[in-house]
Amino acid sequence: MADANNDFKKRVRNFTFKALKATVNGVLFYGIYFVLWMYLAPISQMVPGLQQMVETFVMVYILLIILGELTSKTVFQYFFNMAKAMFVIGYLIFSFKSGIFGLTFQNIRLMIDFRLFLVIAMLLSLLGLAKSVFQAINYMNERAECTSI
Amino acid sequence: MRIPIRMIDIATVFFWTFLIVFFVSAVYSVKDVHFDFGEPQMDVTSDNKVIFSQPVSITNKGFYNIGSFNISTEVSDKEGFTITRGSTFTPVINKNDVVTITHNMTIDVNDLLQRDKNYLFNDTELKIYEAVSMRIADVIPVQGSTNFSMPWGAPLYNFTLGKVEYIAHNLTHFKVVVPISFENRAFFDLVGKIQIQMYNSIDIVVGEGQTNIEAHHNSPYNGHLELYVSMGGMTESGHFEVYFLTSLFNYGPLVIPYG
Repeated sequence: MADANNDFKKRVRNFTFKALKATVNGVLFYGIYFVLWMYLAPISQMVPGLQQMVETFVMVYILLIILGELTSKTVFQYFFNMAKAMFVIGYLIFSFKSGIFGLTFQNIRLMIDFRLFLVIAMLLSLLGLAKSVFQAINYMNERAECTSI
Repeated sequence: MRIPIRMIDIATVFFWTFLIVFFVSAVYSVKDVHFDFGEPQMDVTSDNKVIFSQPVSITNKGFYNIGSFNISTEVSDKEGFTITRGSTFTPVINKNDVVTITHNMTIDVNDLLQRDKNYLFNDTELKIYEAVSMRIADVIPVQGSTNFSMPWGAPLYNFTLGKVEYIAHNLTHFKVVVPISFENRAFFDLVGKIQIQMYNSIDIVVGEGQTNIEAHHNSPYNGHLELYVSMGGMTESGHFEVYFLTSLFNYGPLVIPYG
């Protein structure tokens, strides 16, 4: 009875800790976004829908961060990390399309070539995806070792 | 396996941080780049071509250098025929630096008239495509372009020969006075000569003469030309052949009937 009680308390404590960590990470990520947005704000006036696009990204990414933290120390954490990396790749492909970004402001047509940035960001996301796969394999390995011992 | 994972983790965080900070600061620093387009100037070269010069001042107060700065201009007519194009390239504009460049464009008026003589006598519109390109922080290519039209004023707008006056000069010749009028609507002054050959009804030259002209831009010209014509060859009708010899172009003959 006492063991069950202790186990429940431990689980609650663990969950609270995870929730706290998830909140801190989420708030930290939002803080970084908030600071960076101050620098990008002048451009958002010229690019219609930029703020909405970035906010959607931040929302989904924070959600995945929170889910990843809440499921930490389980294999699902790595699944969410993989989802995070794949989401970034998908988002970059969806929002940047060919990597050449064009907009028309009054009579002036502006064209910005983000292809180099896009390639580097995709490679880093793929690295993140590979890391999550390795982590998942490593986690399953360690669990298998513990079980066999 | 933990060490390689940790290494990948550290590398990923480092490169993501570097990429985001670099990207945001590069985009942010664009707002500290200012362009100042000065008053365009016009000059005529020794080989009779018109040069447009536009001073452009670039102030780079951003965080990074600007590379491969290029201004290009293309002037074409209504049908899309390219009249002239000019390009000015600056390899690097350093941060905290002010660079003034002169963007030049040359128009050969003779070439222009080869294509269409209407440029001499009728006003029209020229299409201009202007593009400014650069590499922000030497790695992010940016290009801004615009299209607009510019009026072309004809240098010999409404060119007419007035009512010809015949005055007896001696027993064998008439002095023929031909009034000339036009309006120089071009952006340049017109300095040169007008030559006129007078033909009778059977296409024989009966007299010729020339006069100097000096018509400032956006001003009318009224003058006359005198030529001496043999009484024997004169007919009631015929035609004039008019030649224009100016510092910027030569054109002729312009055939104008009389009588």
